[in-house]
Amino acid sequence: MCGILAVLGCIDNSQAKRSRIIELSRRLRHRGPDWSGLHCHQDCYLAHQRLAIVDPTSGDQPLYNEDKTVVVTVNGEIYNHKQLREKLTSHQFRTGSDCEVIAHLNKTSKLHFSVNHFLSFPDVVHVHLYYHFLINMSAGELRRWYNPPWYSEHIPSTPYDPLVLREAFEKAVIKRLMTDVPFGVLLSGGLDSSLVASVASRYMLQSEAACQWGSQLHTFCIGLKGSPDLKAAREVANYLGTRHHEFHFTVQEGLDALEEVIYHTETYDVTTIRASTPMFLMSRKIKSLGVKMVLSGEGSDEIFGGYLYFHKAPNKEEFHQETCRKIKALHLYDCLRANKSTSAWGVEARVPFLDKEFINIAMSIDPEWKMVRPDLGRIEKWVLRNAFDDDQKPYLPKHILYRQKEQFSDGVGYSWIDGLKDHANEHVTDAMLMNASFVYPENTPTTKEGYYYRAIFEKFFPKNAARSTVPGGPSIACSTAKAVEWDAAWSKNPDPSGRAALGVHECAYEEAVDEKNANLINGTTTAI
Amino acid sequence: MCGILAVLGCSDDSQAKRVRVLELSRRLKHRGPDWSGLYQHGDCYLAHQRLAIIDPASGDQPLYNENQAIVVTVNGEIYNHEELRKSLPNHKFRTGSDCDVIAHLYEEHGENFVDMLDGMFSFVLLDTRDDSFIVARDAIGITSLYIGWGLDGSVWISSELKGLNDDCEHFESFPPGHMYSSKEGGFRRWYNPPWFSEAIPSAPYDPLVLRRAFESAVIKRLMTDVPFGVLLSGGLDSSLVASITARHLAGTKAAKQWGAQLHSFCVGLEGSPDLKAAKEVADYLGTVHHEFHFTVQDGIDAIEDVIYHIETYDVTTIRASTPMFLMSRKIKSLGVKMVISGEGSDEIFGGYLYFHKAPNKEEFHRETCRKIKALHQYDCLRANKSTSAWGLEARVPFLDKEFIKVAMDIDPEWKMIKPERGRIEKWVLRRAFDDEEQPYLPKHILYRQKEQFSDGVGYSWIDGLKAHASQHVTDKMMLNASHIFPHNTPTTKEAYYYRMIFERFFPQNSARLTVPGGASVACSTAKAVEWDSAWSNNLDPSGRAALGVHLSAYDQKLTTVSAANVPTKIIDNMPRIMEVTAP
Repeated sequence: MCGILAVLGCIDNSQAKRSRIIELSRRLRHRGPDWSGLHCHQDCYLAHQRLAIVDPTSGDQPLYNEDKTVVVTVNGEIYNHKQLREKLTSHQFRTGSDCEVIAHLNKTSKLHFSVNHFLSFPDVVHVHLYYHFLINMSAGELRRWYNPPWYSEHIPSTPYDPLVLREAFEKAVIKRLMTDVPFGVLLSGGLDSSLVASVASRYMLQSEAACQWGSQLHTFCIGLKGSPDLKAAREVANYLGTRHHEFHFTVQEGLDALEEVIYHTETYDVTTIRASTPMFLMSRKIKSLGVKMVLSGEGSDEIFGGYLYFHKAPNKEEFHQETCRKIKALHLYDCLRANKSTSAWGVEARVPFLDKEFINIAMSIDPEWKMVRPDLGRIEKWVLRNAFDDDQKPYLPKHILYRQKEQFSDGVGYSWIDGLKDHANEHVTDAMLMNASFVYPENTPTTKEGYYYRAIFEKFFPKNAARSTVPGGPSIACSTAKAVEWDAAWSKNPDPSGRAALGVHECAYEEAVDEKNANLINGTTTAI
Repeated sequence: MCGILAVLGCSDDSQAKRVRVLELSRRLKHRGPDWSGLYQHGDCYLAHQRLAIIDPASGDQPLYNENQAIVVTVNGEIYNHEELRKSLPNHKFRTGSDCDVIAHLYEEHGENFVDMLDGMFSFVLLDTRDDSFIVARDAIGITSLYIGWGLDGSVWISSELKGLNDDCEHFESFPPGHMYSSKEGGFRRWYNPPWFSEAIPSAPYDPLVLRRAFESAVIKRLMTDVPFGVLLSGGLDSSLVASITARHLAGTKAAKQWGAQLHSFCVGLEGSPDLKAAKEVADYLGTVHHEFHFTVQDGIDAIEDVIYHIETYDVTTIRASTPMFLMSRKIKSLGVKMVISGEGSDEIFGGYLYFHKAPNKEEFHRETCRKIKALHQYDCLRANKSTSAWGLEARVPFLDKEFIKVAMDIDPEWKMIKPERGRIEKWVLRRAFDDEEQPYLPKHILYRQKEQFSDGVGYSWIDGLKAHASQHVTDKMMLNASHIFPHNTPTTKEAYYYRMIFERFFPQNSARLTVPGGASVACSTAKAVEWDSAWSNNLDPSGRAALGVHLSAYDQKLTTVSAANVPTKIIDNMPRIMEVTAP
């Protein structure tokens, strides 16, 4: 990841403005610790903080076309840059950077500055933060360039073909092995990260990266001592033969990091903050080992309806539309977490499940196949599991391939969430919570934990526009507001934890009695 | 380098205070990007931001003795930690960290153990048995350290000014070679080498003794568990460091892990003298050489950041820090965490040009002593903070305690510049490494006089800075300078420009007092200005005229400068000479 900042048409080309932009750009330096650049054209400024992953020696930004009339500042990785370069035979490239193609692809040059968090071609938008757009200075409008079939939320009808799905995912992983620096895989031991690790270690030998950095894959896992994730990940790592790194943190270390986590992830969403904190701590350790890029498993739960509440989807249409909504909201939740928790320390996270082509294929499957059908032995994400169920050359042992694991925040150790709640209870009084709707009329926090995070967020980002970038509204166990309607009991239930709403007994949480139930509760969020 | 911050006895053990300490500690995060730790004992807080060089896997701080009664937070490297461990056979060590010995030494010897440490360090040690604490800083002040006092009766310690300036009523730079003990309630100098008294030494010069002392200073600094390299400007000092490192790398533990080929780094404007000189040395030594180019605009854009990090408004320091700051970012991006650098040689051997005018050996020697004592405010500060800004550690073998002792013990007669006997500045050092059998460096490099840092990066760098400053500082502003900045009044537009930035980041009176000022000619101390009556009388702040060198010589690179009675090529050193503040 890099950090980009552009100020366009500010009617001020003074030194003071330049200094101010440099100062603001420095706020994004954690994203790109390796170098920075500023291009100034009259009253337009393009600033860049670079994390050098491809072509570290010459790819400093901004990037230009041949006559320097088109200037680009980019945060991202263009996985198909080699094919694109081949198509642009008449163009001369200055650097080996994957992003340089962008300047050359823009044919309407003149005074068009392509300002994008991620411009179109190879990857899907959600990986990157919110403001993915293309400003055409002469047009002055926001335009959606991404128009896949699933976007309309029509119900697809392609029959499920396990091999097609498998190949699409393998391709998505392989193209993300493009790197000139050391990398690894985030491995929680759950299905999604285990598949990423398995595919990556299988194809690593053939990649360019392996020639430079050795063919043994590095995997990383974090947890409180003795946590479920650590155990599960170790098992997978042993099976795959990766070079596995375990990081332990204490509840106190997590609490001490909260302010920084909120500053970096720029949210007050409770689930996101809970899950971001361990990832944030782990990223610092990963970076300290010299690793600059990691592959991660985000997105699978959205595409395949992996969250527990999908068990209650009334029909395939509702199921499908909910997955579409979840994907569209990813940039506010898991993408935001994955991107900003890692970028805080100059580590880049790549998410193969959000490959544009893979999403197309996965979202064109008749959703009947994705439905959770205990009667047919289909647990959640069955289509994905089944696609990698290869008896000849197993990707993962069966019991891992078909196991239901803790979701992130809980997997790091049960006492993490409890510790957070206790801490918040100590510092937020009942009186404070009672007045919450007056103090925070928008997205009013309903728990002390929510209140605690909100107070920190407001301290860093006091503007009204800032709080509006964070989503809110009713939710059960990570569902969208719409899916709350699936069960009449949900919308009536005032318990913000959603535990009771999902019909699971409280104590199941600690004891993890029943694997499926445990998983169910792990999916819970706060806020209704 | 790491970043340390301690708040001791603040009578506040609330969550709010903890959060505040964490927040302040984060201001030092650049120094230690790898991990952080906070230890709290009642109203005492020890915070640490770690750059992991030795034992990255287990050496997270704070560090403890066996029963955790003694807690230490350290920034530094203890080169003799293995011997010290052996001297403590009854102690159990928890980590492989070189700094782990400190808590145990204290347990064994009480407060008087600091001189046993060989290295660069600053630490805070808290004894929870009686809530006492000690703070110490290395002999020369290679690591940066500040001390402050709060209105609540608290004592604050921070690796950088920015960790404590907003919360202390008064603060100052922690004196190098000193310790502060809460029991004694004051400072005490633990570093008492013979040269400190400024008495004139009489040991005859033995080239081989000096050579061996420097070699062992370099070798002990190869202790590392992470990739490293050398800063190579192509001048005498950095070239010697690179040469010795390359020669001894093969046998070290570091070479086994990271390869036996040395990485060297140089920065400059395109086509600058340093780049050329360094390339030549790198080729000769066969290092993996990395050249970094920057533009004047890159440098100017970085100035604010440089001043924020270096925490000074000293013109020479800022000029020289900027390229080093830019280079450090590039070095770090290559995965290198530690570099060895050549600071200190000019002070120890009288390498600055004005030493040509030293009236006698006594004056010469005393000036070198003064220069070494002031190093922590100038080149140590630059080297430490320019690199630490990007989580890179700089090690400086010329400031090895044992080496300084040997070098400062030499009869200063030998160090005097005597053109008639072919002795140019730093001749004792050059001569010590003039080995015909196994040459460390080719003769012409060993005996060449090279640009000093700010100019070596390219002549237009200083000109660019001045031009930029004069665009943003008006004559009117200069006219009022003494009213706006009564302390250390800036006398040039460039100095005024830096000062404005400094004051914005560090507005407290204590902050401006941590930066040195006063009369100086070409980096001399105020005392040495007396060496030439023309110097102190001269009102020209540039000092060019004062040294008797014609202005145009700078650009034209004349080969002889008779007026100043200095050897040829002296003009190459001009930029430093221009760097003079009038009394």
